[in-house]
Amino acid sequence: MINGQYTDSPIYVAGAGIICAIGNNVGECITSFEHGAAGMGAMTYLNSVHKELPVAEVKYNNEELAAMANMPVNASRTALLSCIAAREALADAGIENIRGLRSGFISANTVGGMDKSEQFFETFTANRDAGRLRNVNNHECGSITEMVAEQLNLRDQVTTISTACSSSANAIFYAARLIRHGLLDVAVAGGTDALTKFTLNGFNTLMILDKEYCRPFDDTRAGLNLGEGAGYVVLVSEKVAASLQHIYCRFSGYNNSNDAYHQTASSPDGTGSYLAMQGALKKAKLQPADIDYINLHGTGTQNNDNAEGTAITRLFAPHVPRVSSTKSFTGHTLGASGGIEAVFSALSVKHGYVYPNLRFETPMKELQLMPETSFVKNVPLQHVLSNSFGFGGNCTSLIFSKA
Amino acid sequence: MTEQKYITAWCSVFNNKVAKNGMQLFDGKTVSIDEFVVGVYKYLQVQYPKFYKMDNLSKLGWLATEVLLKDNIEKGSYAPEQIAVVLANANASLDSDLRYLASVKDGASPALFVYTLPNIVIGEICIRNGFKGENTFYIAAHFDAAMMYRQVSETMGHKAEVCVCGWVDVFGEDYKAVLFLVETHKEGIPFSETNLKKLFESN
Repeated sequence: MINGQYTDSPIYVAGAGIICAIGNNVGECITSFEHGAAGMGAMTYLNSVHKELPVAEVKYNNEELAAMANMPVNASRTALLSCIAAREALADAGIENIRGLRSGFISANTVGGMDKSEQFFETFTANRDAGRLRNVNNHECGSITEMVAEQLNLRDQVTTISTACSSSANAIFYAARLIRHGLLDVAVAGGTDALTKFTLNGFNTLMILDKEYCRPFDDTRAGLNLGEGAGYVVLVSEKVAASLQHIYCRFSGYNNSNDAYHQTASSPDGTGSYLAMQGALKKAKLQPADIDYINLHGTGTQNNDNAEGTAITRLFAPHVPRVSSTKSFTGHTLGASGGIEAVFSALSVKHGYVYPNLRFETPMKELQLMPETSFVKNVPLQHVLSNSFGFGGNCTSLIFSKA
Repeated sequence: MTEQKYITAWCSVFNNKVAKNGMQLFDGKTVSIDEFVVGVYKYLQVQYPKFYKMDNLSKLGWLATEVLLKDNIEKGSYAPEQIAVVLANANASLDSDLRYLASVKDGASPALFVYTLPNIVIGEICIRNGFKGENTFYIAAHFDAAMMYRQVSETMGHKAEVCVCGWVDVFGEDYKAVLFLVETHKEGIPFSETNLKKLFESN
């Protein structure tokens, strides 16, 4: 329970950091958008038998990532990715007196140190006396957050949220609530996930992985491509924001709703997504017509895009804003996706970016939704909505607004 | 001081029999768990076709909750957010995990895969009854009345006015469910570690 004094004072985004298949930092990701260069390709780093499945990998091995993160080479890839993006976000925010402020690290992930556990498991199943135990020490999701918090010297509030694909969106709004309740001044919030056999096999079992590059919101879509990466925003209180040279935007609205329909699927009418978007609008005191761009959850599965599209049409028609799914570039990075897409959304508000939805050709039969297909700059965007919907019906929408 | 809570109903599904508040309601007399759970479902005379899609852990927990709540909680008497669920067992979802693993050889089954988590049974119970309160699933070697008492008290210390709690365990042909309905503002057996233990062991 949070017992601090709640205030409705504005929360600002002061910093951003990303590593994913389309870039090692925010600048590289934007360049990839400009060039229409998607991050998926043949499997290179993940050791899986399912080579037929395209994945959106970060194009470095663990040795290289460890050097970039300045962390031990045997650390979980989940932690390495997290550290790189979170450090970029902190540096970007450039908060000079951070030691004098209450700072937190609210980081989401869904796989924890599973990549290392898989290494252990292989050796261990062959010989019960073999396998390095240090490879399972950080199996648990929270362990990844703790390791990175230590690296970044963020100590006042460190916690992990794991709610499938909406994990890091939930981490971001939980961080905002901690600030609004007067418990933190600064929070690095977002999430991380590395590709593992565990997730690949799980999604493969559900038969929702496309053997081609994913086609979000297209009538011919046949599933998602898994990706990996990490994305963080630095959220600050109004007081801290006033002392900074630059901020991206205001974090104005958020909501989490659950349609309690199925273990993995959204309800066909998108009840959960509808309630999440509606709730976020209410929190931000906005009308549907105020939203200028929606960064879709847009995984490319039949079920998600249908449910999300239905919910958007219900809530916004006849004035549906610009929409696109950046997962057509990054793949679905699961626990990191809400963080990565929050960064893209904050950049949209700041610089007027609208991202293309690659490989979109044919609108879905049931819905006349036409995602954006080219990268545009300097579009006047007052309010951007970012959707992240997870298994278990866990639906989250975030709204970023001009400061 | 926390308010005194009461066990207002309890139910057991064990050894081919279903009992509520110590009274036997149904004797399956069948041998396999698969037949038994369907027998109990038919006995209850409810229409919920999704029941047949569930794994045995969910079927068991779902059936036990149906029996527990019948005539005890009227629809609408509590807000959905006020009803919590705290369950525990020894075998997590191992029963479904192994069935799923066996299916992998001939193409992994998505229908089995979605039950390879122990807390799915809580989801099925909440979907059926529209519960939206806190819920947690614990895994422990034995029914730990002290832990259950502590966790339910903690959960009910916040928003929850009602808690469905107890044990739901399935592994192969072995199964046992003992559920308790705990409420704040109704008389019953005082909710305590001793009474949880006593009722659990009486089954």
